[in-house]
Amino acid sequence: MAIIDPITTGLDSGWQHIDASTLQQNRHFEADVIIVGTGAGGGTAAEVLTEAGLTVIMIEGGPLKSSKDFDMEERHAYPNLYQQAAAMKTADKGIGIFQGRAVGGSTTINWTTSIRTPKQTLDFWASERSVINTSAEEMLPWFEKMEQRLNITEWQHEPNRNNGVLREGCEKLGWEHTVIKRNVTGCWNTGYCGMGCPVNAKQSMLVTTIPAALNKGATLISRAKVTKLEHSGDKVNGLTATALNEGLKPSGVELTFSAKHYILSAGAIHTPTILMRSNVPDPHKLLGKTFLHPSLLSGGLFDEQINGHSGAPQSIYSDQFVWRDGAAGDLGYKLEVAPIHPVLIASKTIGFGQSHAQLMANFNKMQVMIALVRDGFNEQCIGGQVRLTDHGFALDYPLSNDFWAVARKAFLSMAELQFAAGAKKVLPMNDGLDFLTSWKQAQQVIGSMDLRLLKTIVASAHVMGGCPMGEDTTKAMVDSFGQSHYFTNLSVFDGSMFQTSLGANPQLSIYGMVARNATMLAEKLKAS
Amino acid sequence: MKRRTFLTGAFAGTAVLALGVNLYPSDPIAIGGDSQYRVLFSVLIPVLLDGALPEVASQRKLAIDTTIDAIQASIDVLPIDQQAELSELLASLESRLGLLILTGSMTPLMMRSPVDLTNMLEAWRFHYLEMVQTAYLGLRELILASYYATPAHWGKLGYAKPTFLLNA
Repeated sequence: MAIIDPITTGLDSGWQHIDASTLQQNRHFEADVIIVGTGAGGGTAAEVLTEAGLTVIMIEGGPLKSSKDFDMEERHAYPNLYQQAAAMKTADKGIGIFQGRAVGGSTTINWTTSIRTPKQTLDFWASERSVINTSAEEMLPWFEKMEQRLNITEWQHEPNRNNGVLREGCEKLGWEHTVIKRNVTGCWNTGYCGMGCPVNAKQSMLVTTIPAALNKGATLISRAKVTKLEHSGDKVNGLTATALNEGLKPSGVELTFSAKHYILSAGAIHTPTILMRSNVPDPHKLLGKTFLHPSLLSGGLFDEQINGHSGAPQSIYSDQFVWRDGAAGDLGYKLEVAPIHPVLIASKTIGFGQSHAQLMANFNKMQVMIALVRDGFNEQCIGGQVRLTDHGFALDYPLSNDFWAVARKAFLSMAELQFAAGAKKVLPMNDGLDFLTSWKQAQQVIGSMDLRLLKTIVASAHVMGGCPMGEDTTKAMVDSFGQSHYFTNLSVFDGSMFQTSLGANPQLSIYGMVARNATMLAEKLKAS
Repeated sequence: MKRRTFLTGAFAGTAVLALGVNLYPSDPIAIGGDSQYRVLFSVLIPVLLDGALPEVASQRKLAIDTTIDAIQASIDVLPIDQQAELSELLASLESRLGLLILTGSMTPLMMRSPVDLTNMLEAWRFHYLEMVQTAYLGLRELILASYYATPAHWGKLGYAKPTFLLNA
């Protein structure tokens, strides 16, 4: 069956797309609104604003890739579609970070899990961080709107065995578990969401809002990296970007932009980085405070075939341990599974030589749990800090003793669940450990094992915070609707608005909040 | 103190000065062809991938060569800061003083036995200095990820990408 590539079709129909790597000389562009970034925030905003009749230019640092390029191989997907070829890490190398860098941003490569912002998180932002008009009730119509737009519905098929183990373990132990809602239409259930959907079933920004905006006359400029904002007084006067060559290195061509309004949707690392490099006012040192849902991994070996590479990557989660002591209480963690592909598993496991080869030989019998720690709610895990470097940025993210304490609990929960679901052996991804063969042994070993930086594998697929929202300027850079407190014509519409991590996968939170904020902005701009 | 790179703190300063390592190389790192690092990777790959590489000599050589090509492809897409750190590490492993600091011996790696190299990596893996652990983790990730990125090496995994699009 031939797969129709909507990007190829759209480009043939005359979409305004400029691949900046092809530009030979400096260029200037103007529009009503300039949007920096094309992920969940930028994509949503682009559709809303073009729908309202405004002229829009989207600028994306990564390339425009589409289903014809998505060949289901990690060796091509990671360099083409991920920040730093999926090898991005915190400054001390303690946490590996997966974040998208292509048209569609992380929505092009995420695992489709769509969860509304937890009520606990929204209540915490309202009571502690001066966020207004963003309660679960007030956000409901916006979540519903985007769920409809992106066909976000509960996964109706049987979970693959990787997720099935999570469900069975929860059932045996009496733990809460939920079927995941996914943004897919006609999903082939193949399991390659993380390498770009090869059949355009995933309703990412790449195949939904961005084509809609382009159909209405918006312009997309890919391979252009925004470096700074020009500003004076309470106005942003322009943006500067560097064109990148095919290898995403600066080509020497400079692009400048001017607009009535500017929107930063470059993601929770790059949005604050652009603001820092532009020397914007930040009197309370709020920029760049970053949350990651730092996550632990546990591998379980089963007698049966798990085939964790096949089927929807995530279809079940458990919130049994996320909110046990309330949002401001002890750290909690969400239980999910990770899809099992060769590079991902080879690099996020432990050891080398014979022991690693043995692990990989059992590839299809391995089940992988992940525990995502919700960070940023209290002193136990305050999150990280982005800082500028000569060549870009670094993210300092110290892992505290309280983090290691909750990591130990998370390893215990994951092992308990895996044994309850029938695992023969369990390997917490903490270097120096051998496979554990019983829950009793796991309790002893995990209870006393040494957890620390570099020894314990910690990963993140959710970058949040860095330009927080709220009404109190000692706590927020932008207001509760994403409008800058310092510049009248600047908004921030992406995950960097979040005051803490979410305790849930972030894409639907960004869609809902940006749909509301962009709708308000469109009304304001049209009235002016 | 920030643990910025592979080398850290006063120790780093001394080592870098002693080695004459350029922290930000202008030339890209080359490991394939006749480049200086090909031999280095040729001795590390069989140790890190012991049990995974084919046993038959001709296939084994082919797998090692393919992995070196894949490592080069991985390095080429790394950002400049990460390339600089890797360059620093590789230069240290090629220098007698660097080897002495990192391994306690000046014997070039290509003259060491597989057992010695395994012991060296095990020592780095659990080393009390984070910078040495980072060296282990960096080489481990680069080599293992590059090996398993190659479809020709998926045989033992029972992994193959779906074929439904081949005739599309």
